[in-house]
Amino acid sequence: MRGNIKAFFRERRYIGAILPLSILGLWQASASFGWIEPVFLPAPIKVAEAFWYMLTKQDLPRDVWASLFIIGQAFIYGTLLGVGLGFAAGLSRPVELFFGGTINTLRHIPSVAWIPLIVVWLGLGAPAKIVVLAKSIFIPVFLNTLQAIRGIDQNFIELAQALKLNKRQLIRRVILPAIVPVVMVTLRYSAGLAWALVVIAEGISGLEGLGFLIFRAQNLLMTDQLLVCMALIGLIGYILDRLLYLAQRRLLRWQRGFGGSYA
Amino acid sequence: MLEVRGVTRRFGEFIALQNATLSVAQGEFVAIVGASGCGKTTLLRLIAGLDQDYAGEITLRGARIEGTSLERGIVFQEPRLLPWLTLWDNIAIALDNAPLSASAKKNAITAQIALVGLTGFEKSYPAALSGGMAQRAAIARALVGHPSILLLDEPLGALDAITRMRLQEELLRIWRHEGVSMILVTHDVEEAVFLSQKIVVMDSHPGQVTASVAIDLPLPRERSSAEFCALKGEIFAALHDNAAAKPPEIEYLI
Repeated sequence: MRGNIKAFFRERRYIGAILPLSILGLWQASASFGWIEPVFLPAPIKVAEAFWYMLTKQDLPRDVWASLFIIGQAFIYGTLLGVGLGFAAGLSRPVELFFGGTINTLRHIPSVAWIPLIVVWLGLGAPAKIVVLAKSIFIPVFLNTLQAIRGIDQNFIELAQALKLNKRQLIRRVILPAIVPVVMVTLRYSAGLAWALVVIAEGISGLEGLGFLIFRAQNLLMTDQLLVCMALIGLIGYILDRLLYLAQRRLLRWQRGFGGSYA
Repeated sequence: MLEVRGVTRRFGEFIALQNATLSVAQGEFVAIVGASGCGKTTLLRLIAGLDQDYAGEITLRGARIEGTSLERGIVFQEPRLLPWLTLWDNIAIALDNAPLSASAKKNAITAQIALVGLTGFEKSYPAALSGGMAQRAAIARALVGHPSILLLDEPLGALDAITRMRLQEELLRIWRHEGVSMILVTHDVEEAVFLSQKIVVMDSHPGQVTASVAIDLPLPRERSSAEFCALKGEIFAALHDNAAAKPPEIEYLI
């Protein structure tokens, strides 16, 4: 702990704290001196109180869970389908030709534009949102998995030939690990996009979740609750990315030391 | 043991290799030297079975070469280690399909790592190895399955002069220890004279074999001895004859 505090000053990490603390100070000052109407910007303490109120008197945990449930499912389905189909297309030219054109065309329709139709089909509940989000994760994962396989050094394939690896061994020893860097970056990127999309989807349709809460708070001019939702969305998004980052670092530990002593 | 007879390889109109013939006896060390573009790497890839589109005949112990085989180990110009595997796994991968028990594989890998002097680095990833160490690992990977012939495609070309000399000595030691036949493609004449029992000289446009010189100096060889230098001179002369026999190449730019 003391070491952390020392590092905080010696490595000048406190520089990163200046801006958020200033914004917080300015926020507090605007409330204290009445620069801004509380209905537009309530005081920080009011927002904290609103958080406590939502947590204890309202159903905030249930709403957070609803949003996490949607992105969690969508992430699993979108990733599995994207990596699986990307793999199939990467290993087989006919499969690539069969799916490639369609997926490349569909990806130009923004996910938000899919929501109305899917809601008509599947209703206001979680399934419609899971489908739209899974699709928004699937497309970049599919395209990047395919591209990553196409980008594998031909020399490694030749090495596999010289070592007489069969197709299963080629996939396990060469292709899978070779595409992990690209796939992990894509997962982090698309998880961020999908998390933003949850908020929009819940705002457009549905009766629960953080996105529902934030738009309800806007309609009722409950700016304090609105700010609570914003902060929570940001915090959860950060945690999700952090978790994926840690997974990425673990999977790519062989990359550490690059730029080292290779002659 | 290995016979290359009248082998021609074309890439469209371009003749990369024309009517090449050479033979390698059991346990023999043969070097192939020649200027770049003489088809020496093409020839090695044909012997490795990485390229099968040729006219003529290549046989190993009388059987025509069809595709790659663990019987023919290959070391490429660059180490070509898989960056996501540890040194141990990079060598173990060559035994993925060997009909050996797990403990026999483990013993073979341990012994091979010791032979190339990398004991203690088993858990290192390639990014943490120097160029010389990485190329030793590549040699261990090619040898661990005990091939009857080892194909070396300018394996030391990218290394600095001092590391290269040390690895030449190691290669010699490994060759004597393992008794494996070796074909070394190189453009370093001194390396060829230092290591091999026979030097095949090749020329370009089209790629062809122009001379075969026996090197019968006893091992280990002294690089500065008169005999060594005389043989080097002979190889240089053969390479020079190739260059002199042709009219100078003139290119017209329009």
